[in-house]
Amino acid sequence: MVHIRVDGTAYEVREGLTLLQALDDLGVLMKGVDIPHYCWHPKLSIDGSCRMCQVEVEGMPKLQIACGTPVRDGMIIHTRSERALAAREGVMELLLVNHPLDCPICDQAGECKLQDYAFEYGQAHSRTREPRRALKKRVELGSTIILDQERCILCRRCVRFCREVSATNELAVTQRGDRSTIETFPGKPLENDYSMNVADLCPVGALTTRDFRFKTRVWSLEEVPGICTGCSRGCNVHVGVVDHEVRRYTPRRNDEVNGTWLCDQGRMTYREIGAPDRITEPAVRGNSGQLVGATLDRAIGRAVELIREAVQKEGPGVVAALASAHATNEDLAALRGLLRALGSETHAAPVLTGSSDALLVRPEKAANAEGARVAGFGEPGLLFDKIRGGGVRVLIVLGHDVIHEQFLGTPEPLAALDGVILLDTHRSRLEQVADVVIPGRHLAEKGGSVTNHAGLVQAVPAALEPTFEAIAEAQVLARFADALDVSLTDEPERKREVD
Amino acid sequence: MVSPAVRAAIDEEIAKMPEKRGALLAALRLVQEERGHLCAETIQEVAEIFELHPAEVMEVVRFYNHFHERPQGRHQVNVCTSLSCALRGGRGLLRQIQAHLGIRAGQTTEDGRISLGHEECLGACGNAPMLRIDDAYHLDLDWLRTQQLLDGLE
Amino acid sequence: MGHRVPRVTQYLTEHFADEGFATLSGYRARGGYETARRVLRDQSPGDVIRMLKKAGLQGRGGAGFDAGTKWSFMPEPHHGPNYLVCNADESEPGSFKDRLLMTRGPHQLLEGILIPAFATGAAMTFLYVRGEYAEPARILRRAIDEATAEGMLGSNVLGTGFAHQVVLVRGAGAYICGEETGLLESLEGKKGQPRRKPPYPAECGAFGRPTTVNNVETFCHVPHIFERGVDWFRSMGTDQSPGTTLFGVSGHVERPGVYELPLGTRLDEIIFEHAGGVPGGRKLKAAIPGGVSMPLLPAGHLDVPMAGEFLRERGSSLGTGGVIVMDETTCMVRVGCVISEFFRDESCGQCTQCREGTGFVHKLFLRIERGAGTAADIDVLEDVAGKMEGATICAFADAAAWPVQGLLRHFRSEFIEHVHTGKCPLPDGFEL
Ligand SMILES: Cc1cc2nc3c(=O)[nH]c(=O)nc-3n(C[C@H](O)[C@H](O)[C@H](O)COP(=O)(O)O)c2cc1C
Ligand code: SF4
Ligand code: SF4
Ligand code: SF4
Ligand code: FES
Ligand code: FES
Repeated sequence: MVHIRVDGTAYEVREGLTLLQALDDLGVLMKGVDIPHYCWHPKLSIDGSCRMCQVEVEGMPKLQIACGTPVRDGMIIHTRSERALAAREGVMELLLVNHPLDCPICDQAGECKLQDYAFEYGQAHSRTREPRRALKKRVELGSTIILDQERCILCRRCVRFCREVSATNELAVTQRGDRSTIETFPGKPLENDYSMNVADLCPVGALTTRDFRFKTRVWSLEEVPGICTGCSRGCNVHVGVVDHEVRRYTPRRNDEVNGTWLCDQGRMTYREIGAPDRITEPAVRGNSGQLVGATLDRAIGRAVELIREAVQKEGPGVVAALASAHATNEDLAALRGLLRALGSETHAAPVLTGSSDALLVRPEKAANAEGARVAGFGEPGLLFDKIRGGGVRVLIVLGHDVIHEQFLGTPEPLAALDGVILLDTHRSRLEQVADVVIPGRHLAEKGGSVTNHAGLVQAVPAALEPTFEAIAEAQVLARFADALDVSLTDEPERKREVD
Repeated sequence: MVSPAVRAAIDEEIAKMPEKRGALLAALRLVQEERGHLCAETIQEVAEIFELHPAEVMEVVRFYNHFHERPQGRHQVNVCTSLSCALRGGRGLLRQIQAHLGIRAGQTTEDGRISLGHEECLGACGNAPMLRIDDAYHLDLDWLRTQQLLDGLE
Repeated sequence: MGHRVPRVTQYLTEHFADEGFATLSGYRARGGYETARRVLRDQSPGDVIRMLKKAGLQGRGGAGFDAGTKWSFMPEPHHGPNYLVCNADESEPGSFKDRLLMTRGPHQLLEGILIPAFATGAAMTFLYVRGEYAEPARILRRAIDEATAEGMLGSNVLGTGFAHQVVLVRGAGAYICGEETGLLESLEGKKGQPRRKPPYPAECGAFGRPTTVNNVETFCHVPHIFERGVDWFRSMGTDQSPGTTLFGVSGHVERPGVYELPLGTRLDEIIFEHAGGVPGGRKLKAAIPGGVSMPLLPAGHLDVPMAGEFLRERGSSLGTGGVIVMDETTCMVRVGCVISEFFRDESCGQCTQCREGTGFVHKLFLRIERGAGTAADIDVLEDVAGKMEGATICAFADAAAWPVQGLLRHFRSEFIEHVHTGKCPLPDGFEL
């Protein structure tokens, strides 16, 4: 550890880091110690080209770049000395020389570092009267990303991302001097599983996702912490909400989980929330054999009836549950609590699997696969056997993963049951065999905790209310318990066993 | 396709360097000498030889003045326009050449004979004004001599 | 090719009139390679470095850093080779001495490489020649082949057991590859964009190995120092800047060319006595002492000894020793246009101030030259040059700012006249 002083405050920092790295490591960068920076990014190599982060270091005649200057014991740093401020103003002015200043129509307005810093460090207006550099305003770098060359400040974050993180190398800076531009090779567009991160890390509005471009003004966006539900990595996201609608996920930094990145596929899962195939209304299978809309009370009533009848006829063992690995820990606890209260131990959680990579993407395609496993929801094979063998009469199903071809492939095997109670967010063929359908809430709508593949339990609040009436699955299950007159509050048996 | 002879020459350059990529500039030069310019397919081929993404090779091609992505004339005429030459009429010489050939710097004559350019100091300031035709320097020029040189080009 | 053979001949250029000097046999006939043989056989690397430090040879590439001190930064080779780089990218406008040294004395350069190669434990020297220097490259390649065939290079250099290879690498047209870390990047097959320092080349240079970079001329002095001794070397030049150097004189002089003269020779002496003064009876207006990167000096300030320590007092620098002379017909705004065009074209484009500033400065010069400038533009020019200076990855941005500052320091009135009258007061000057 070495000791440094920054603007009069003493810090103890890890050796071998540069000043910006050390301040970031302490969690004070831009949260107490403001050193503006464009090219430096905590998860990319040091570039040292924007020259925005210049600070004064006692004993060194020239200003030093904070991103590239290694900390030394006893170093005394001034970030707001007259010289440092003048240098930043100089950099700002020169950056703005060629910048189009079309903030009013820029997507990044509101989260643009150029705008922020110009306000803080720049002069009121730029002094050039020459035509600004005319470049291409709309270059499609690939299917996800659009580049505005005029806005680009050539910090090369995007280029470094493609070299160092996605390791796909699609982006390059071509030409020299003030002709420099970001480009792709003809026929080799920016297409990789992480491509949209470049829009997040672009400090200005030069890179935008086709998905979000011009859709929303950033300042009308409310950002709430969330977790991607795409796989068991549990990447942290900001859920961007406008008018009860999720417009995007962007990465929320968590060095233990996802650093500052998201995979494209996971990022786009936000679309599931406002998807047209959401289940928006409870339904009960009527005498005609058709599912008909019902009130939540009626649906819960019917579900409870089915459970009660089965228990009375054949004992508690015939009630079983197939949980979803998307369900929160709270949902899963409620489900297991209900079964246990009834006296059944028959439950499982099918976890869909798919491709993975070395960076973030996990093979388990659900956010709470690990949480389900820890909560005792095992592989569904035995349960399927039991269903086929007639040992199950009523099945409570959270989510429809079970009819995926990795599992049953079809709802058919469930047709013979006396009752299928479906708590789900999205429509599926499972409705063909369901006797009761109750709409669920997406993680972003209910909040709660999920446990990622590494066992990290992460809790998030609800980001928005659904546009239809629905309560969280755990609450539905609690209503079941109430109606059945059993208690979910605790899991006394298990605790006793452990003791 | 890069010819076997050029491919062999590239391998020879690669063998000289501690790392393969160190021979990239030499390889681009060799390929350009054979093909006249470096089109996208050629860049891609070179990228394959060097196990690089073609964008990385393109970046190099566009950084250096001597690499051309478009077909060039049979001869490259480049006039020095830096200060020492400018002081002794280098820029006037360029203007006269432009008028004589009917093209501007950066263009190629219609018959494909000459691509005209101007360059920064070529390290012959003591013999200003001067120009470079392909690899050869022509020094201490006046208009008469320049005209003879140009007209002598096939 | 048409180099005038230097008129004042000293040790570097002594035999340059002799065509044979460029061949191995001709060079050996003059005692060539004997000094290297003796040094490699009889001296230790430490001895060599100590002696060179005593000699006080300053780098001739523009920055004037003490060569012996630079060599002493090199660690002993461990877990891989050390490298040496000969910077033959000579592209600073007004500089043309290295081309002469390479075409007329290629073996002098190779011998000059062998001694520091031995002293720094380098296994290989990369001789990076600018792309336009096709003829020098051809001559050097032949010299390397000859020297390798005759055992001056290779696995047993001059029978001393020292192994050394020289690899010639050609640039492809980019001034910035003369900056030593831009050169290293280019050597590695990348864009020649200078590297952030630290780490310095002596820690992590070419291909990640410890590396020393020196200029062509710097190497060429070395065999002479070891042949004739430190005292002899220090008997020429000034205390702080010993030895001779090659001054390239160009622009408005009667006899442009390369002049080998002791450092500390007065600038006016070089211009008037050696280069024959301004032609046509015209008056001298200003001179740049060391390539376009250096601030110019007006007539009346030229009685300065050409050595870093004296030029600094006049607000300029020795740079590459390329003297550019301008007569009274020269419009200083046009000079600004020409110089700033060079920097606009050649900035590598990494650093904000340099990338944006070089283009901006050029636009301002052009606007003033067109007669469309205002007095405020002159202030902006000065201000922007100030903002470009001292804060970038490499010294290119400084080099782009200094000439602007020099022009405004000494010729501001001429700029003001342009903006007030809206036209150039010197219409008969050189064409833009
Ligand atoms: C923009 C720029 C261009 C340079 N160009 C050259 C060059 O063409 N040749 C050269 O020898 N040194 C050049 N230098 C200096 C080199 O960076 C380096 O200092 C030099 O090669 C070291 O050699 P020396 O110590 O023998 O002088 C340049 C420096 C800068 C900043
Ligand atoms: S597009 Fe954005 S991230 Fe990429 S270099 Fe330009 S400003 Fe930086
Ligand atoms: S890696 Fe997984 S959790 Fe992270 S963004 Fe992708 S799908 Fe979502
Ligand atoms: S100062 Fe200019 S030339 Fe040097 S690294 Fe920065 S941008 Fe490139
Ligand atoms: S953040 Fe330090 S130079 Fe860009
Ligand atoms: S200025 Fe033309 S060769 Fe140097």
